[in-house]
Amino acid sequence: MLWVDKYRPKTLDKMMVHEDIAINLKNLVTEQDCPHLLFYGPTGSGKKTLIMAVLRQMFGASAEKVKVENKVWKVDAGSRKIDLELTTLSSNNHVEINPSDAGFQDRYVVQEIIKEMAKNRPVDARGKKCYKVLVLNEVDKLSREAQHSLRRTMEKYSASCRLILCCNSSSKVTEAVRSRCLNLRINSPTEEQIVRVLEFIGKKEGLQLPPGFATRIAVQSNRSLRRAILSFETCRVQQYPFTSNQAIPPMDWEQYITEIASDIMQEQSPKRLFLVRGKFYELLINCIPPVIILKRLVSELLKKLDAELKHEVCHWAAYYEHRMCLGQKAIFHIEAFVAKFMSIYKAFLIATFG
Amino acid sequence: MRRRDVVVALSSSEDDGIPPPSKTKTKTKTKTKTRQTQPRSTSRRNSKKPRLQQHQHQHPPMFNAVNCDALDKDFSDAFMEFQQGAGYRWSNNGELWVEKYKPKSLEELIVHKKKVEEIKIWLKERLTLSKEEFRTLALVVRGPAGVGKSATIQIIASHLGARLCEWNTPTPTLWQEHIHNSTSGKQYTSKLDEFEIFVETIRKYPSLSFSCSSGSSSPCVLLIDDVPLTNGRSALGRLCNSLHVLARSTVIPTVIIITDYSKAESADDRSHYFDVLQSALESAGASKVTFNPLTINSIKKTLSRICEEEQCHVTSEQIDKIAKASGGDVRHAITTLQFLSLRLGHTVSSSLINPTMSCSKEDSEVNLPDDGCCLPFGRDETISLFHALGKFLHNKRDASVTAFENNVFTLRKRFTRLPLMMATPEKVLDQAHGQARVVTDFLHENVLEFLSNDAIDDAWTVASYLSDADNLLGIALPWSMSRKYEAESIVQSVAASVAVRGVLFGNSHPAISRWHSIRKPQLWMIEHSALRNKFEMVRHRIEGYNALKLADVCIMATEYKPTLKWIEHNVTEYFDSHRMVEENECRMEGLDEMDWTSCGKSDDIEDW
Repeated sequence: MLWVDKYRPKTLDKMMVHEDIAINLKNLVTEQDCPHLLFYGPTGSGKKTLIMAVLRQMFGASAEKVKVENKVWKVDAGSRKIDLELTTLSSNNHVEINPSDAGFQDRYVVQEIIKEMAKNRPVDARGKKCYKVLVLNEVDKLSREAQHSLRRTMEKYSASCRLILCCNSSSKVTEAVRSRCLNLRINSPTEEQIVRVLEFIGKKEGLQLPPGFATRIAVQSNRSLRRAILSFETCRVQQYPFTSNQAIPPMDWEQYITEIASDIMQEQSPKRLFLVRGKFYELLINCIPPVIILKRLVSELLKKLDAELKHEVCHWAAYYEHRMCLGQKAIFHIEAFVAKFMSIYKAFLIATFG
Repeated sequence: MRRRDVVVALSSSEDDGIPPPSKTKTKTKTKTKTRQTQPRSTSRRNSKKPRLQQHQHQHPPMFNAVNCDALDKDFSDAFMEFQQGAGYRWSNNGELWVEKYKPKSLEELIVHKKKVEEIKIWLKERLTLSKEEFRTLALVVRGPAGVGKSATIQIIASHLGARLCEWNTPTPTLWQEHIHNSTSGKQYTSKLDEFEIFVETIRKYPSLSFSCSSGSSSPCVLLIDDVPLTNGRSALGRLCNSLHVLARSTVIPTVIIITDYSKAESADDRSHYFDVLQSALESAGASKVTFNPLTINSIKKTLSRICEEEQCHVTSEQIDKIAKASGGDVRHAITTLQFLSLRLGHTVSSSLINPTMSCSKEDSEVNLPDDGCCLPFGRDETISLFHALGKFLHNKRDASVTAFENNVFTLRKRFTRLPLMMATPEKVLDQAHGQARVVTDFLHENVLEFLSNDAIDDAWTVASYLSDADNLLGIALPWSMSRKYEAESIVQSVAASVAVRGVLFGNSHPAISRWHSIRKPQLWMIEHSALRNKFEMVRHRIEGYNALKLADVCIMATEYKPTLKWIEHNVTEYFDSHRMVEENECRMEGLDEMDWTSCGKSDDIEDW
């Protein structure tokens, strides 16, 4: 088991970051009247950990007895029948799904699953009817239609089930859904907090941490706790007694994007564009989300760029990131961005150096 | 001829018991008609034949229903009706123009001079010189339909004073005939069998088989116009074999004509089939002449000559259109012309009857629609998707036009482009039946190779237009509107148009024209394997990552997987190694597939 999972706090009391939110959540749940919850915040900030802890607080240890199911849902979509296969993680009292795995058919998933859950409400030990909890991940990736239908089902079945939504950016969740939930912003932990967690893990694992080592990992992790713990473990595998100047290995895809960036800086021509396209394909095959590719690429390019071009490049990056969300195939837009960058950069080089 | 056809068809349907005529050799050029009348069986024919001949001789130009009294009454009634209903008189030109204007001399042939000369020399040599000087006496003439293969051979033969002997293709046996024959105890022989017998006869009795048909001493040329069709491998083998034997053993010059189907017409292995036949013949030492489709100009010349002689009023634009639509098939072009003049004549006569209607009717009927692709006649003008893509990518422009003064708007210099050397892009798309998504993907895959290597600005223009097109395709129509197909199809066609025109406009500095192969979009393969990898990850996310939660795919891809790979690379105790190996294999497979798409599945396209 990876350290990320091994040292994940199981209960709200044991939280090492966001202690204040944890206390508030505990109070909320123990008062029995739990509203719908919407957790949002950057990756690696601890949303999932909090959700799990909340579930445990609600249902006790039974929330951890989960079973994985690959379930096929038969959905009647007007004129035709659709079969949807989706992985669910469920205990007696809660179901967790990633509706966006179903792609553009996500709206059916949301409706159907909630309907089915509402049908068989569990009965607790004292014979009192209680609610079920549905955890929906990546709500921001749901399509508009799915979010609308989510809103409707939320109202209709609010008596029998509670929703816990989880997403990175609340701006991509419709107002209607947001206003029906208790919104909880989970910030990224500060670097000091990350250092504290790393030192805690180091102590548990019985490792000697050279001074400043944890800080360096924390800085490089970009304030993502998950990232920090993962690279900490990588370092441990790479070389144990730690040395204070030990290199912290980057993720392979990040390295790859750095390569792409230097390719782009070297030569600006259609031929090079074609070569770069092949490299993007390689990343896409490995399911690296295109938005992340673009973001990373821009930050790599900006590092090497003259200050007067930065503004324009950022503008175009934002432009094509937006279009990527509107369009179907991301590579078209990434490539358009790269072409635009090449065009700008080449003009700049000619103007500067003749 | 037309008239005679009708009669013959009727009489042959009367006596069903006639077996398909076998290997009778006639020296007439008009094959079909005589072939059918010849082997008529005895008793009934004797009673009828005089009558037939009688009306043929007495009333040659007009078909008169009275003369049909010996024929079936019903038929004559029906024919009367047909004649009146058609409202068109056969009298002066009761012949198909294709027959009527068949070339009669070498000068009238519109086949390329070189080809004619080639065949002429070949035949002449073989007719005059002694047989031992040549390895073989067989010639394969191959080409698409309607380019004058048979006509060329016939004219050259008559020019050289040689008799043309044909292997008469047996009439196909209908199923009813077959049943009838089998009940009356007659054996069915397949066309292939008959051909084999024929070849065998030629091989065994070379001099006999031809001398009997005529007493004259003029040299003889054997023409095999219709190679029997076969089905299946063994039958094809037999046919190849007998063709081989024929080419080897013949002692008189033999011309075998193979008609090609165009590749677009038959996507299956039909063309391959003829290649097999041809190679069989060539292995026997046969020489080969390939005919190309006729040029538009020569077809136009022929058409206008016919127009003059027939005195029909067809404008030169219409002739132009017919010639273009014919695709190098002069037979088709002439038939079309006759059809068109028929239509004209018809409208004129009806306008005489009904003068008030004349103006509007003539306007609507005489003026052909502007766009060639919806002529009421003509060959199917569809083109393959690759043809269309080639047009878009090569971006041929008319460099001769330099002035833009006739434009209503004066454009800035960077926005002006030379006129395109093709129909409007939308029309080309339409002809190719291109779907927006497919076209866009293909253009995206291939366009960069067609840009000049300095033109990164162009690359951006193209990329931005493709990105526009992709956005259009990604438009999620509101629920109420997506039900209506028009809305969707409009979005689709707009997207395709944006992509195509964007590529045409953006590519202002095309690379030097050279041979390119057009690749299948790699993107499809990428998407496919990305999806598979994703499923793989989703499937393994629980047991593999051993967590109590569902991790997002993106987090798994960007963080867990690289870490695990790293750890796995160094120490195996952390993780179930078996699964990682599997994952790696999966990755490798993805790479293999990429290679395959890039080299294996490329469709070749010539530079046009």
